[in-house]
Amino acid sequence: MTTLLESLSNELATAVEAGGRAVVAIHARRRIPASGVHWRQGVIVATNHTINRDENVTVTLPDGTTAPVTLAGRDPSTDLAVLRLAGQSLATAHLRLDPSPSVGEFVIALGRPGPRLTASWGVVSSVAGAWRTWRGGEIDSLLRLDVSIYDGFSGGPLIDAAGRVLGINSSGLARGAPVTIPVATVERTVGELLERGTIRRAYLGIGTQPVRVPQSLARRLELKNTVGLLIASVEPGGPADRDGVLLGDVLLALDGADVSDPTDVLAQLGGDRVGRPIAAMVIRGGQMQTLQVTPGERPEPRAA
Amino acid sequence: MTAPLTTGLTQELAAAVDALRRVTVRVQASGAAASGAGVLWDPGGGDDTRGLVITNAHVATRAQATIQFSDGAVAQARVVARDRRRDLAALELEVRTAAGVAQLRGAPLLRVGELVIAIGHPGELTGAATLGIIHTTGGDRAGRTPPWIRADLRLAPGFSGGPLADAGGRLIGISTMMHGGLALAVPAALVQSWLRRAPAPAAA
Repeated sequence: MTTLLESLSNELATAVEAGGRAVVAIHARRRIPASGVHWRQGVIVATNHTINRDENVTVTLPDGTTAPVTLAGRDPSTDLAVLRLAGQSLATAHLRLDPSPSVGEFVIALGRPGPRLTASWGVVSSVAGAWRTWRGGEIDSLLRLDVSIYDGFSGGPLIDAAGRVLGINSSGLARGAPVTIPVATVERTVGELLERGTIRRAYLGIGTQPVRVPQSLARRLELKNTVGLLIASVEPGGPADRDGVLLGDVLLALDGADVSDPTDVLAQLGGDRVGRPIAAMVIRGGQMQTLQVTPGERPEPRAA
Repeated sequence: MTAPLTTGLTQELAAAVDALRRVTVRVQASGAAASGAGVLWDPGGGDDTRGLVITNAHVATRAQATIQFSDGAVAQARVVARDRRRDLAALELEVRTAAGVAQLRGAPLLRVGELVIAIGHPGELTGAATLGIIHTTGGDRAGRTPPWIRADLRLAPGFSGGPLADAGGRLIGISTMMHGGLALAVPAALVQSWLRRAPAPAAA
């Protein structure tokens, strides 16, 4: 009688089984282990925020055995970490790069917070364009989920109804709400982490806050954008300090693009900007001034 | 636009829910304010003179309870076995209704990701349904029935003691509580073995 319903049920369970063959438990923090995905042969992707130590990291494989792994690199900005697993034969994830997930699509979040595989289901609730995390990481698209999440799900894959991986789930990027880091972002980050161990990012060494330029001044300077960024701190000896940026300057544009929010500055500071001068338009002493600033490479934040 | 698959699924889901509702009862312990759900259970031994209802011990808190069937009929029942540790209670009905009893799922084993349906009576509603999937399987030790079925499913108060069933409408457990965001149910197999061992009639 219930052939369709039972077929759907079987398909979901089969997708879970297929996807689960590449899901491992990551032991790198106290209490509940987190999850990881065997992304490529010998390469496991996990979330950075669930790895609290650089050494003595182990994984539990789908067959229940435990194996040591080494940390190849981590990127707090995208909350991704890459681990190397040697000498194990383990299925690799079946990645789905195209088509991108659609709103309303059935999805399953897998986890392995211990020896057993866990699953929760739901739908993709929204898909939007590229975004930047609060730590400056560039994520190719914003995937929000209508899926319940459970302890230890971070680092596990979001899979489609055919068991293919759509991305890595994290609760560490949006105040605990589940976010999926799409396959394209993971691929790029994994490549760079395997090569360099870190993700190169440019920085200026300034702290800013948005301010409204007084109307009379804005009129006199013929400004279109009346919100600028007040330089509220300058890191001594940092790139901005070296290039003459002063406390109290109001930054209006970087490389010709208006900036009215601190994230606008981050958007200009991709890894390719390191060492290349960019024009910074500032108001200083009531006058417009253009400075050439050369971003340096952002030092890695030290883990606690 | 036609959607034959979704239309078919919806009809099948409605049919499965209807069938489950017929074997789901409301259990109101005598003098208690809150009520829960219960499942009409095969008493075994070819006994067709009495009926058996399985629910949670935390629902059947008194020696007597009022049972309301899905058609609205009401009967009195007496607790014949109660186990607070397993959170199970068995109630005996003087009459056996035409509603039938829940069909249990024997084999095959549960799979992570398979669909599950729960029926309960949240608030003023009677026979409400929720849909979810099996969250995880396997016990602490291999080969043993785990003490709980864990499902990615939302149970509201009033689902306690009601059925958790598979996509074929076969009973797999007794919905018992939410814990850590997961629905927990006592596996039907544990209910069966408990019934075999339970002293009957038991002091409530």
